[in-house]
Amino acid sequence: MSPLPVWIVCGGCGTMLQRVSQSVDADAFRDVRGDRGLRIGIPRALMFYRYYPFLKAFLESYGCNVQPSPPTNLEILGEGTDICVDDVCVAVKVLFGHVSQLAHKVDAILIPRLVSVEKRGYDTFTCPKLIAAPDMIRYSFPHLPPPLEFTVDISNAPWWWGCVRLVRRLDLPLRGIARPYMTAVREQERYEGMLRSGLLPSDALKRMYNGNGVPRPAYISEGDVIVAVVGHPYLLGDPIVNKRLIHWLDASGAKVLGSTMLSQEDLEREEPSLPPLSWSYERELLAASSSFMKRKDVDGMIYLTSFGCGPDSLVTEMVRRELKPAGDQVLMEMVLDEHSAESGVRTRAEAFVDMLRHRKKMRSNTGGVG
Amino acid sequence: MKVAFPHMGNAYIPLRALVEYLGVEAVVPERPNRVTLEKGARYAPEFVCLPFKITLGDCMNALDRGADTMAMVCGMWACRFGYYAYVQHLILRDMGYEFESLLIGREDPRLVLDKVRSAVGRGAFRKLAGAAAMFRAKAGAVEELESLARRIRPREEAMGSTDTIMTSYLEKLDRADSLRRIWQLRREQREAITSLPVRESNGMLRVRVVGELYVLLEPSLNFDLVKRLGTHFGVEAQPVLSTYRWLLSPLWLDPLLHLSSSRARRISRTYLPYILGGEEHMTITGTLDSQADGFDGVIHAYPLTCMPENICRTILPSICTARDIPLLNLCFDEHTSTVGTITRLEAFVDMLRSRREQDPSLTRLSPPL
Repeated sequence: MSPLPVWIVCGGCGTMLQRVSQSVDADAFRDVRGDRGLRIGIPRALMFYRYYPFLKAFLESYGCNVQPSPPTNLEILGEGTDICVDDVCVAVKVLFGHVSQLAHKVDAILIPRLVSVEKRGYDTFTCPKLIAAPDMIRYSFPHLPPPLEFTVDISNAPWWWGCVRLVRRLDLPLRGIARPYMTAVREQERYEGMLRSGLLPSDALKRMYNGNGVPRPAYISEGDVIVAVVGHPYLLGDPIVNKRLIHWLDASGAKVLGSTMLSQEDLEREEPSLPPLSWSYERELLAASSSFMKRKDVDGMIYLTSFGCGPDSLVTEMVRRELKPAGDQVLMEMVLDEHSAESGVRTRAEAFVDMLRHRKKMRSNTGGVG
Repeated sequence: MKVAFPHMGNAYIPLRALVEYLGVEAVVPERPNRVTLEKGARYAPEFVCLPFKITLGDCMNALDRGADTMAMVCGMWACRFGYYAYVQHLILRDMGYEFESLLIGREDPRLVLDKVRSAVGRGAFRKLAGAAAMFRAKAGAVEELESLARRIRPREEAMGSTDTIMTSYLEKLDRADSLRRIWQLRREQREAITSLPVRESNGMLRVRVVGELYVLLEPSLNFDLVKRLGTHFGVEAQPVLSTYRWLLSPLWLDPLLHLSSSRARRISRTYLPYILGGEEHMTITGTLDSQADGFDGVIHAYPLTCMPENICRTILPSICTARDIPLLNLCFDEHTSTVGTITRLEAFVDMLRSRREQDPSLTRLSPPL
């Protein structure tokens, strides 16, 4: 028999075995875990703002001690910028900063790996940096043990498969996984319900874990002009990264609608009018933009993006050129990076709200023509 | 119907043959240069990767020359390249250009085929087979010429003699209109290049170039990295990717390419278990293999904000530290200057030389020509 088919067959089987063993390997955590639960750190960056309640509830029902990293501050941002390569988006740099905060304070660092988050007629992905986030961390922090991964690859395996792999990796019993899983799903639904009510990710998380005593922020209900802010949850949710944009909009007297408040049904409604896009999260933003553009009550929209965001560089172009506003909404693109200054963002937010207010007044004076 | 496609290295030679064999006029804009890049950068999104900007400029050049159909490959990948054509055509239409889009890979293949058939007329399928043969022959000839030139250039006696031959044969290949003529040219060019007077080449430095496809293959973006290293520094530079590879692997015209890229995927899986949509597997595997293949160092070239290569950029230093491979990262954007790049190349080559002086065991015999 010629060597080529043999090589192909053996190579293929080897790969499959490797795949299986990857999900099973490592009893690394057996020794660390004493009577106290395993301390698992979750960096407060990227997908934290989407799936933290799920991961927290899931791991805590298994007796783990989940520790999120502290809220981003300028020091964390600076540290991340120092460690990370230069030309990735600020959100990834913040992730690096948070990981270095957690290093040596916890037994393991959990980093979600989101390969694809939905099933569609065509291939779906997330941003390559979310797909490879654990790899980037692993090779940038050589002195740390490899991070724990929570893999989501919906187009190939269901959501719970990621949980099974995580449990196997932690060497926890698979038996009775259903209860933690269901608890986690309920927590995630509660969180998403809060997001739907108009809370932005950071406020929703605060309310979830600090109780209902946390007052409802003013931006939800009051305001003479309505500004929609479209952007990734990790930009909307992190006041250090977005330089307190929401606060400044709120302080100028605007009502703020975040793209996180739209439900899956709202987004799905826009689907037929959108160009096919394989990045799921960016298609969500595109759908959110389209949905806000169609709403007559929205006066202006801010598309929030970070410098160097790969998918957004093209999606902003699609938003600007493809979506037709129903009324006379104004679109502003705001690009953030680690050098953005709070005063700059504040000036722009105030000017934007003033401009919207002025337009509104002109329009009512001229009887809707202006 | 006048079809145009953006430039990438010498890809225009086989692509023009493909289009013209079908009896359709091909519009090939001038080779991209800094002006093209500036033109594209003016209308492109701010932080999109560099190939987008230069190909946008290229499309504008082609449309100015009277093209009425813009052909481009696209797809649904995690890398931005799949959306180039879609967004570029949006921008071009907004600028007021009128043309038809031929998006190969995104639209239904039947639709593309229908378009081809309506443009070609009767006997489209027969012509398509002939065109594929011409395409493959020219791509193979260009590939052979390029790889020979890469080997001979650092060894040549008279500076620039290889490039003189290469330019003249590229022109002849572009004009060749039959398979027989291509084969004849291929023999001639092999003869002409290998008969050039060469220097003693033992102990010559060899460098592997990995990174993003377009930056690797388009001389106007990388300041002619490979040629410059060969002619001015006397260093043999070998990119892991080639135009031939890029053109032929999606068409299944060369099974060897598939074997090598599936091997690359398998090896790079330890570092990147999931596909990112770019050439990240070739970058990682190329670096891992570089010592075994007899290279002294690795140059990693990529455009600013390139997603897959940025991820490689975080991984490569740890590979290179562990295996003691010298690594130079070159990040290109529209503001990168020639002088800055040359200074860094010089320093890198000097460093490789002094490494060899300090440790003579690093000196290997260069592989025979």
